[in-house]
Amino acid sequence: MKWITARRRHPLAGYAVVILALVLFGVGYAAVAPTSDQAQAQTLAAEVASPDDADAAEGKVVFDQTCASCHGLDGSGTATGPDLREVGPASIDFYVSTGRMPSSDPSAQMPRREPVVSEEELADLIAYYNESIRSGEAGPEIPYEVPDEAPEPEDFEPQRSDFESDEEYEAAVEESAAEYEAALEEYEAEYEDYIQGASDTDMGMRLYLTNCAHCHGWSGGGGALTDGRWAPEIHDSTPREIYEAMVSGPGAMPMFSDGVISPEEKQELISYVKTLQAEPNAGGIFDLQRVGQVAEGFIGWTVGLSLIVACAIWITAKQRAHD
Amino acid sequence: MSKTTQAPKALRGVGNFIDDRFHLAKTGEKNLRKVFPNHWSFMLGEIALYSFIILLVSGVFLTLWFKPSMVEVIYDGSYERLQGVPMSEAYASTLFIDFEVRGGFLVRQIHHWAALIFVASLVVHMLRVFFTGAFRKPREINWLIGVAIFMLAMIEGLFGYSLPDDLPSGMGVRILQGVILAVPLVGTYISMFLFGGEFPGEDIITRLYMLHVLAIPALLLGLIVAHFMILWHQKHTQYPGPGRTDKTVVGTPMFPGFAVKAGGFFFFTFAVIAGLSAFVQINPIHLFGPFTPTSITSGLQPDWYMGFMEGALRIFPNWFDFSIFGYAVPMGVLVPGLGIMGVVFGGLALWPFIEQWITGDKRARNVADRPRNAPVRTGVGVAMITFYGLCWLAGSNDILSETFSINLYLTTYIFRVLVILGPIVAFMVTKRICLGLQRRDRDTLEHGYESGTIRQLPSGEFIEVHKESSEETTDVLASKPVITSTALADEVDDKGVENPAARKGKGRLRRALAHWYTKDNVSFEGVEPHSGHHLHHSKDVEKESAAH
Repeated sequence: MKWITARRRHPLAGYAVVILALVLFGVGYAAVAPTSDQAQAQTLAAEVASPDDADAAEGKVVFDQTCASCHGLDGSGTATGPDLREVGPASIDFYVSTGRMPSSDPSAQMPRREPVVSEEELADLIAYYNESIRSGEAGPEIPYEVPDEAPEPEDFEPQRSDFESDEEYEAAVEESAAEYEAALEEYEAEYEDYIQGASDTDMGMRLYLTNCAHCHGWSGGGGALTDGRWAPEIHDSTPREIYEAMVSGPGAMPMFSDGVISPEEKQELISYVKTLQAEPNAGGIFDLQRVGQVAEGFIGWTVGLSLIVACAIWITAKQRAHD
Repeated sequence: MSKTTQAPKALRGVGNFIDDRFHLAKTGEKNLRKVFPNHWSFMLGEIALYSFIILLVSGVFLTLWFKPSMVEVIYDGSYERLQGVPMSEAYASTLFIDFEVRGGFLVRQIHHWAALIFVASLVVHMLRVFFTGAFRKPREINWLIGVAIFMLAMIEGLFGYSLPDDLPSGMGVRILQGVILAVPLVGTYISMFLFGGEFPGEDIITRLYMLHVLAIPALLLGLIVAHFMILWHQKHTQYPGPGRTDKTVVGTPMFPGFAVKAGGFFFFTFAVIAGLSAFVQINPIHLFGPFTPTSITSGLQPDWYMGFMEGALRIFPNWFDFSIFGYAVPMGVLVPGLGIMGVVFGGLALWPFIEQWITGDKRARNVADRPRNAPVRTGVGVAMITFYGLCWLAGSNDILSETFSINLYLTTYIFRVLVILGPIVAFMVTKRICLGLQRRDRDTLEHGYESGTIRQLPSGEFIEVHKESSEETTDVLASKPVITSTALADEVDDKGVENPAARKGKGRLRRALAHWYTKDNVSFEGVEPHSGHHLHHSKDVEKESAAH
């Protein structure tokens, strides 16, 4: 205590206390606050969904509960939601897997968010869509060969209630961990194959800079559009979602069908975007969000020039007569 | 004890050898003892000088590897992502500097950050000179040189930004070409001449390179030397204070005091720039990719100093475009592209002469004004900053729109209104603040400062004891100049003859402007320092407490 007593009137004591308090609150909050892992673990998801074992009957339940109020029970649209019969499964998959649908405000552009519908439910929904709503073969198909999201460990976690004894449950947990590892490895190999399979950087770059960058920006960071809309950032998008967005043209985005940009060219383009995003920032640890010149100018004034001027004030300072 | 001031013999020998031949001792003594007034705002120009030196040195380093050529090559350097991509040699050699030259990336970032700091320090230095009236006689020429340096620095920056031939540089050059094309009659010819044919051609990088590393830096260097020599000859201005008049200078001698400070300041400036360059990524050309005429991206801006022109282009409406004899005159590009620049730089260059014409003040002024004591000038300055700042912000309207979720079109309309209203409001508010500060100055001069001590008088009244300000403060406050104008002389002189100038339009305009310039000022006439009643109160208290 003596140590503190001696220094509590030090000119820097106030700052030290404030910094300590900030650190305490910051660290304390981080320790107490739920992490995203824990939050996600609370949602239910059993097995990885695949189109083969999808159940159209289950899909109808999902559709009637989450989609029909706006799009109509037969998907033919109402005043608040458009006709879905011609859009194709790629569009459905894009909107639902990026969390844009079901929309909380049909009159506004939806931002990307955690999907409301689980992967299994989505597969069921698409099976139901193909069976009962879609008119013939209308609209683009889901590009199943393009890698989607990486598997999550929660998808494999067994439910405690399904097992009678702790031993069985623990064995199942171990087994599921191994299953997850295997699935992740498989996914990564698939992803690498797809990204590395594209070898013509020039083509990917030209396609992206000619067709995409004037809305989504050179770095894929997104940008402002007319009439209050915006082009979303595409950093979190999976290759499949980018592909689906191109073939279905969601919102204000134009449609780039496989006839306009071939699947191979799409692969080049997607590979270009994903490789650019994975690129480390060679110029320093602060990349300024790759916003570019506006952020650089801001830092130049607020950090650079301010520090230098502060130094000028410091070296010309003199003891002022008190008044 | 008596011989301690003598230099060592070896030094004396060298000194005498040089002095016998060049007679430098006298000049040297005179210049080394030169007095510099001490104030942080006098160091702002030095930041510009130091960052210019850093620019020269880092720029020389970059020229060792940069190839100003637009010949197309297939990249096969060590940056894997772009291998096999066709690009210009200029872009490929910049990648070479980034990834193959040891320290090349750092030096390129130092060059870029130093450029941003250079122009920023020019601006703050110029604002200091403007607001303190340091551009008045005898310094008008140096002010004009300063304006020229500012303009050249901007162009130099734009050209440098265009050299690596990456995506943003190509887009910047395209905008430049668009503005050139908008010039009536000669625009297309200038463009064809500059680019050696159609955009982008194969010459532009080579030509910009010559301008960027030779012509403009040579001009800048010459102007900076002239600026400095004139400063040396005319000496610094100084803020009012005891012993400071239009004829005397108070400050630290050049050697050793000021030289040490200035040297240390150089290293600090360099440290900040190097620190930024080491930790904050700037202009990552390897991420942007090479420029092709079909490529275009959103969210891209010029460097900050071109931002106000970008903003002007973005918000200026196309309502005034017209065609004559089948030739389009795109006022929507011409006015913001060249007109706004003309207003900003023309206004800066002309202001000293306009002010002199209004006030008729032809005396040499070596004591700087406190900004509050020239409220109209300060108001005009802040109005100008507001206009510039709004244009500048408008240049980033897409980033603002996205970051703060504002409708993009709405930002355009907001800026169109603000760019006109903002300066007017800024002028009025600033002038009121200046007058308020003047009033407070008069109070302080009359009554001293509030000591924070509350006393109770025998009558029960509570008063705050005011104390006399220090001699320096009193001196500064009492030296407030009276703003007058020769144009406000009586319309009819004492012999009943009408003032001939007042009859003509120009004379009337001058009279009106002079009235506007001088009308609102807090008069300090008849104010005796420390004569106010608050002080008498405190004297009463003192007397009383002495009596107890």
